[in-house]
Amino acid sequence: MTDQPALPKDIDRILLDEQTIQRRVRELADQISADYADAGEIVLVGVLKGAFIFLADLARRLTIPHHVDFIALSSYNRGAVSTGAVRLIMDTRAPVTGQHVLIVEDIIDTGYTLDYLVRTFRARRPASLRTCVLLSKPERREVDVPVDYLGFEIPDVWVVGYGLDYSDQYRTLPYIAALKRDVYTT
Amino acid sequence: MGLAEDVAKILIPEDVLQARVAELAQEINATYTDEDRPLLVCVLKGAFMFLADLTRHLEMRHEIDFMETSSYGAGTVSSGVVRILLDLERNIEGRHVLIVEDIIDTGRTLDYITRNLRTRNPASLRICTLLSKPARRVIDIPIDFVGFEIPDEFVVGYGLDYAEIYRNLPFIGVLKEEVYR
Repeated sequence: MTDQPALPKDIDRILLDEQTIQRRVRELADQISADYADAGEIVLVGVLKGAFIFLADLARRLTIPHHVDFIALSSYNRGAVSTGAVRLIMDTRAPVTGQHVLIVEDIIDTGYTLDYLVRTFRARRPASLRTCVLLSKPERREVDVPVDYLGFEIPDVWVVGYGLDYSDQYRTLPYIAALKRDVYTT
Repeated sequence: MGLAEDVAKILIPEDVLQARVAELAQEINATYTDEDRPLLVCVLKGAFMFLADLTRHLEMRHEIDFMETSSYGAGTVSSGVVRILLDLERNIEGRHVLIVEDIIDTGRTLDYITRNLRTRNPASLRICTLLSKPARRVIDIPIDFVGFEIPDEFVVGYGLDYAEIYRNLPFIGVLKEEVYR
């Protein structure tokens, strides 16, 4: 593991390096562990594909009993433009009624996806429902969704790594980087 | 932490595990090129933690996809046939596919998944597993990358669960018998 990795050609700059991310993930896990100390058990719902690395690291740092579950979503697109409507491709394995649910997402942008998830899970009558999001782009927000645990606020640039992709590329970089603007605007 | 108290012994400590994951990634780096752009197929849920660590060491261009399966019940155990709850997002025809598993036991389910994926005509299909229990094997499947061969004991941690618990232990441990009896 090198401190100064050679950057792939489409990468403009590193926004959050590996140590910074790991330190923040640990802080989030400590805070979540403290907040749910008396909850008994919680369910972490990871949103595929983007959240799998964040979830893997976060779960390992938790000191409270928890289950891990996954959901897969896709958005309905009109041409290349997202309409904000979300389709549930795979639901959680276990029912969440009466459970303490923590939705784990990689990024909140417009907020449509997270808003959809919160409304979907609230309808299932969990004992409690909170959201944990690694990255937020406040400039892009169109719907107001409460984020209970937030890793970092970032500017409105296309970010990749640590679960986030550009056409499925760069998803597993151990750091979070901004893509060169000409890569995604042409 | 309470969970660790249910573990009779640590089979693979965290540092040994992490070192081996990095080695496996080097073996995979030596196998594929950027042009191959392999698709790593993760079978949920057990393998997600292994996948998260393994892929951060990969150097070639690659993509990730997920499958989730569930068994139909007792009657289909011997055939390995499972219900696919989440199929791959990507069409794998002509692609180099690497299945990433947490553990291979009898091999029946993996054999079924492998046969299912082969019908889609991938360019190549390889298997990477963190753990293998050779003593339990019923179907002989060629495994290309193996992290550790382990004895036939009830193991948990690093993605592997017992009744959904213990997945987040950072090591591989053997569960105390009184916990699952």
